[in-house]
Amino acid sequence: MTLMALFHESADTAEVIDELHNLGIADNKIVVITGLPYPEGALGRHREWLTLPYIVLAGAAAGLGIGLFLAVITPHLYRLDVGGHPPVGFPPAAVIIFIFTMMATIVSTFLGVLWEMNFPRFGPAPYHKLVTDGHLAVILDIPTRLEGQVRQMLETHHAHHVGEPERMTL
Amino acid sequence: MSEPEDMAQEIRQTTPYDERLLLAQRTDSEINQAVLQPMLQTGKGFWVLVTGLSLIVAWGVYAWSYLIYWGIGVTGKNRPVYWTLFITTFVFWVGISHAGTMISAVLRLLKADWRRPITRGAEAMTAFALMMAGLYPLIHLGRVWKFYWMVPYPNNRLMWPNFQSPLMWDMVAIFTYLIGSSLYLYLALIPDMAMARDHTGSWRFKLYRVLALGWRGTEGEWHKLHRALGIFSVAIIPIFLSVHSIVSWDFAVTIQPRWHSTIFAPYFVIGAVYSGLSALASILVVVRRGMRLQEFLRAEHFDSLGKLVMVAGMAWVYFWFAGFIVEWYGNEPVVRELIREEVSGHLAPFFYLQMSANLIPIALLVFKRVRTTPALLLATTLLVNVGMFTERALIVIGSLQRNDLPFNWGNYRPTWVEISIVAMTFAGFALLYTLFSRIIPFVPVWEIKEGRLRYTMRRIGRLLVPTAAEID
Repeated sequence: MTLMALFHESADTAEVIDELHNLGIADNKIVVITGLPYPEGALGRHREWLTLPYIVLAGAAAGLGIGLFLAVITPHLYRLDVGGHPPVGFPPAAVIIFIFTMMATIVSTFLGVLWEMNFPRFGPAPYHKLVTDGHLAVILDIPTRLEGQVRQMLETHHAHHVGEPERMTL
Repeated sequence: MSEPEDMAQEIRQTTPYDERLLLAQRTDSEINQAVLQPMLQTGKGFWVLVTGLSLIVAWGVYAWSYLIYWGIGVTGKNRPVYWTLFITTFVFWVGISHAGTMISAVLRLLKADWRRPITRGAEAMTAFALMMAGLYPLIHLGRVWKFYWMVPYPNNRLMWPNFQSPLMWDMVAIFTYLIGSSLYLYLALIPDMAMARDHTGSWRFKLYRVLALGWRGTEGEWHKLHRALGIFSVAIIPIFLSVHSIVSWDFAVTIQPRWHSTIFAPYFVIGAVYSGLSALASILVVVRRGMRLQEFLRAEHFDSLGKLVMVAGMAWVYFWFAGFIVEWYGNEPVVRELIREEVSGHLAPFFYLQMSANLIPIALLVFKRVRTTPALLLATTLLVNVGMFTERALIVIGSLQRNDLPFNWGNYRPTWVEISIVAMTFAGFALLYTLFSRIIPFVPVWEIKEGRLRYTMRRIGRLLVPTAAEID
């Protein structure tokens, strides 16, 4: 079953997460939603590994390739001979290669982070509007047998709005 | 009274720090409302402004249509002054666009907390200034429908853009910077779109819901957003440096006297930073008044921004002098004639306007009262941009009036078509900014809330001072 609880204080939230771990509830069964970014480790959770830097590197490499193609290969394909000039000069080619590399880096960062976050995602999802007013929401996926124990523990730590989460269309 | 309450009471009585935004006694809900309310209330003044700006834009569109119909001859372009008010204003807008990245990316990397309430305004300024800049190459073409010739695509005429041309670098660099700054603006906006979605109804709810992309604020989402913004901040700085360098190379790679200079790239970049930061300060003063954002845009922010403008101004003077002394000492005949025209000839009024409008603000900004009084700061920073626009005009138009062929010397006068089109972009920028400030939360709410987490008060001897926690 799924339960949601709201908290005013991050300290209460961190303690609840510790106790949930003690009850044997795995980290991937707990989702914490906040209206602002809390520092790493503040809520006693491990950060997940990201593929974003690798996506960005791949994007940059692709941009480098496109830049090389446009600045170095195409002048040979569409040759325009000017007396005394080589078809490709290093300084102008460097400018184009640099810009295309940076453009692809930026675009791949944006697309990469959307892909990592699985965005856009407009379907119904457990959520509470009080989150953007400063409350911290903890969504738990727990075995039904633990419900009473978990509810009691949540209330001990000043949780409010404890219950089945509303699945809001985001 | 409990100990924290005691301390808060003592802070209010004995220190000026409760004037700091990040130490203000506000709940998250109150911050949300303080940002959203000005967006939702549009008075008569707003609509008068929008109508006035729209009329100027419409007149400019008419002037552009006139230019397209009758040809480029309706402008004041001539031989030898082939780049005129359009290119001058193009360079000016690219310069204005530089402060967004400066404020947002550089200060984000430096963890300068005073940036927090002003980053979005700066990023929006970058995006809109680049949109205006991007119009000028099209307008300058005259035959705007030939624009697609600059786009590389295989075709049976074997026509191919010349990537060795600085004009192609320009197009690619500005397009890249526009994409980068727009995505950077949008990425940092997503959590605030979710906040706006949660607190509005009707068409606004639908708009914010789409723009929020389903954001909930899970730990994973925040972590990924932070990482992406960090990468953006690093990647966009070289782009921001390269764009105005490339614009300067449009000039410097020619053999036109006064343009053919190795110092042009850093000189253009620092000039862009000076004018961009000044424009940002001007805009923030106006928006603060118009949207009643005194809560978020405080003396501390104007003070820091004013100092930054002053430092950029000093650097601009250094680069200007470094270029000037070499030209003066070289005593090349055409350069000597151009300097004479500036110092005592027909360009003298513009030269002295440029110098006074750029130098006086530096002296004024030394005073804290000027930096922290919105009206004084507005006047000072507007003056900087009068100076910077004149500087661009002297570089572009002034320099072209003299060259190595004395029979080919000439002067330039703008026509009503050029002035109308330039007015169109100024009004267009103001219009976009005005509409933006009513639709998008002007103050980055989540960044302010995050900043508030960092600060607490610490006792040092008799003093209670704000202390920032080292958190990312």
